Amino acid sequence: MTALGKIGEGAHWPVAANGEPATLIAALARNAAEFGDRVAFRERRYGIWQEQNWREVFAEIAAMAAGLEQAGLVAGAAMTVIGDNRPRLYYAMLAANMLRAFPSPVFPDVPLEELIVATRHGAPPVGIAEDQEQVDKLLQLRDATGRVATILYDDERGLDTYDLPGLMSLDALVAKGRERLAREPNLLRRFVDEPQADDISVLLHSSGTTGLPKGIPLRHRNVTGGLLNARASGYFRQHEELYAYLPTAWVGDFVFTLGAGMMMAATINIPERQETVMRDLREVSPTFYLAAPRAWDQMLTRVQVGMKNSTPFKRWLFETTMERAVAYERKRLAGGSLTLTEKLLDAVGNVLVYAPLRDHLGLGRAERAFTGGEALGEDTFLFFRALGIKLKQFYGQTETCALTAAQTEGQVKLHTVGKPMEGSQIRIDDSGEILVRSTSVVDGYYDDPESSAKALVDGWLHTGDAGRIDEDGQLVVLGRVSEVVRTASGERYIPNFIENRLKFSPYIRNVAVIGAGRDQLTAIVCIDFDAVGHWAEERGISYTSYAELSQRPEVQALIGQVVRHVNGTQPDGLRIRRFSNLHKDFDADDGEITRTRKLRRNTIETTYASLIEALYSGATETVFDATIAYENGERGVIRRTLKISEVVA
Amino acid sequence: MFYRRAGIRHTRYQDERQLFPLGFDRGLIIAVIAILLAAPFLFDRLYVSGYLLPWLIWTSAALGLNLLMGWSGQIHLGYGAVMGIGAYGSVHLVRLGVPLEIAMIAGGLLSATIGTMFGGAALRMKGIYLAMATLAMQYVVDFVISHSSVISGGSLATLQVPPVRFLGIPLQGDLPTYYLAFGVCFVITLFMLNVRRTSFGRALAALREKDYAAQILGISTFRYKLLAFWVSSFIGGVVGSLLAVTYLRAISPDQFHIELSIQILAMIIVGGLGSVLGPFFGTALILFAPILLNNLLGFTAGTFGWSLPIDLRAHLPLMAYGALVIGFLLYEPLGLAKIYANFRNYLLVWPFRHAQR
Repeated sequence: MTALGKIGEGAHWPVAANGEPATLIAALARNAAEFGDRVAFRERRYGIWQEQNWREVFAEIAAMAAGLEQAGLVAGAAMTVIGDNRPRLYYAMLAANMLRAFPSPVFPDVPLEELIVATRHGAPPVGIAEDQEQVDKLLQLRDATGRVATILYDDERGLDTYDLPGLMSLDALVAKGRERLAREPNLLRRFVDEPQADDISVLLHSSGTTGLPKGIPLRHRNVTGGLLNARASGYFRQHEELYAYLPTAWVGDFVFTLGAGMMMAATINIPERQETVMRDLREVSPTFYLAAPRAWDQMLTRVQVGMKNSTPFKRWLFETTMERAVAYERKRLAGGSLTLTEKLLDAVGNVLVYAPLRDHLGLGRAERAFTGGEALGEDTFLFFRALGIKLKQFYGQTETCALTAAQTEGQVKLHTVGKPMEGSQIRIDDSGEILVRSTSVVDGYYDDPESSAKALVDGWLHTGDAGRIDEDGQLVVLGRVSEVVRTASGERYIPNFIENRLKFSPYIRNVAVIGAGRDQLTAIVCIDFDAVGHWAEERGISYTSYAELSQRPEVQALIGQVVRHVNGTQPDGLRIRRFSNLHKDFDADDGEITRTRKLRRNTIETTYASLIEALYSGATETVFDATIAYENGERGVIRRTLKISEVVA
Repeated sequence: MFYRRAGIRHTRYQDERQLFPLGFDRGLIIAVIAILLAAPFLFDRLYVSGYLLPWLIWTSAALGLNLLMGWSGQIHLGYGAVMGIGAYGSVHLVRLGVPLEIAMIAGGLLSATIGTMFGGAALRMKGIYLAMATLAMQYVVDFVISHSSVISGGSLATLQVPPVRFLGIPLQGDLPTYYLAFGVCFVITLFMLNVRRTSFGRALAALREKDYAAQILGISTFRYKLLAFWVSSFIGGVVGSLLAVTYLRAISPDQFHIELSIQILAMIIVGGLGSVLGPFFGTALILFAPILLNNLLGFTAGTFGWSLPIDLRAHLPLMAYGALVIGFLLYEPLGLAKIYANFRNYLLVWPFRHAQR
């Protein structure tokens, strides 16, 4: 407590040239001094929201830093963090920064092999685990590689029988840290003053769609600079209500939740569990909300399923109102303005439908709602905008702190991702690749000069995305440069583009379009179990499992319709002629997609080689031996008969 | 449709038990209270003292009976007598020069004492037998009042209420009487809303569900049955004296007969057993439906030129009113409060059909 008083009175912290905090730690110290009584973290625990203000948070982080130093965390070292969003995992990340070390968050559901890969940089001496499950994982890692000598855990349930060296609870660590802070009065000053803007604030990893994930170190100046640019462009306000539910290992969570929380002195709300995310969202009602396109699609599906179960009158009201609202939104986006009658009808719709729905979703206050990472379906995008949620696209990579470009209200166009943010420049090179230069662009990959030299030339980041800049200076993203492929007849196409079109249908959860070097396109489709299941129930089609449902002829016909619909928008040479419904969804554990749900084409092409051959052989069905990985690491084989459907033009 | 639930979060467990967590409910209640407070200045005198005043008084009484019947599940057919005891007790005290504030409380205590004595029957009896015992109380009290001229007020059997003051304000004219009734009703409503959240309220609920099960849970049925009678009778006594002072002004035994008991019983059944809102709806329906039906009948008869026999005209509203009560018992045993709750739920989940996960 004495140490705290000092921050209150002496109140100074490293600042950048523009007077803003130079590091996230400086921002934390500023918040503790200037907004000490504001709520910093709000976590739902045992059903109620437990709050901590900035002063308490600062004290706890400092104590944690003091403890971590004793536990062996040194400047320049990495610190593995694994678990769901928990305040103390966030605190630990900042505590590492106080010591000039850097956290390296890992997706909580990775198997051991991926964990070994994800911890290979920075020789982490300390690992932070959320609970027993993650402690077990880190213990396995320690047995396999010797990394993370000290394992600290947040939730001690089930861990009191563990009597292993180097295993300690965060509670005990913080207690020791507090004692040390009281003993050494100069420690706190050091923790705030020493971290430099050039220090690494977090080490993230690329998703690794091709090959090993690369380590991407974001430095304090990248994060703070990028966030200040975003604020200058109006994408953040001071004191936002944020919602921390994204995976901690995704750049979106570190920058848009933790980073923004520090820089904007926002309140970070943390749901009770992953399963309660949607419910807790309504209680939080954040002012800033970022979700992946998939999450927006799921939200839309939830509304649609709910309305399908509603009474005929309300269904009719919803359908007519939303149809009209989407039409109005299209008109507004096209630059038109509504007539008086239309405005009136829109206002009635707001009272009857939009406002109650916004309230149900918990987005009634979400002034700044964003989607990014992938393309979002036009229907979904328009639906939420018509509801009055000012949903906008942003565009960014981990390498740019995900802060490259975003749409601005009033200039939203359906096919663009908006203009470059303040302080960031975008250029299209001769091959059509998007290049970015900004304060938020990293200096290079971690310990990988070769890739760094390839990706960063004269300060311009080669994003690997193909794009163009339209007449208003807005960026249009076409797809990955590396993904542009040709069919045997020489037609150029980007599979991802067609796949996204297909995935806009609620019935298709994942799809892989195949056709490079072939005479025609085919697709492997993973149905959406919830949506197709509901569809089947309505029609009295019985099924017992995903595998059975996917092979029902009615479902084949349903997917066939979706494919035919998308084919209608495609040139003749790029229409999907044959497809097969897979007996399971693509799974990150099987390596078919990355943790951020991007397809790994190589894996799919090797795993399903026999299926792909069948797709081109003219057979109507094929027997496929599926290898499955059990949770305990064993492998088994299941024989499946997969039907193949033709799509008539 | 109008309810907003986003952004409601609690940082303490006690906040989760707050009475009206939803902003729309709070707004609605504030609006209703504001209208009731402004009513003497907004509406005609006839409506205030002829409709609103009795509505508030009868609602208060129904709330008191609802505590006994709706909360603790004990049948009482003699609530009119309980009110009569309070009315006579307090009026006599006032006539002796005791201030009204004290007289009302004393009337309540007197009712509570006598009511609890008869309530003691509930310790041994249940259901229809308890109904008989309380019915006996009604007749015993009626008999005692009307046959002892000391109580009933001599040969004319009417007892005038002398001019009284409440907290220094003379209870003359419409304004002070209306506001006194409003204040009493407000306090009783507040008490009823909160009693559910106390251990007393939960004990009563346990008693209602099954008395021996409650006993097994460690709730003294002896204590809580008598307490339920005590509290309910106390409220009845206070409301009885309120009725005498603000509305009747002169009391006679026939005003507290079985008709009053049945009327109040009907109010809570139509309104909703065990609900706080129910008595408000039930009282309004029972008090005003006959008047409305009568007017409606007169209007239609006048418009279409029917010539109804005078006795049919007098009895038709009563028949319709009886049908209404039977209809409620048949189709919505939980009363008007349940209908309101259904409507509220409809709006709460709007535009969906049911709550989303």
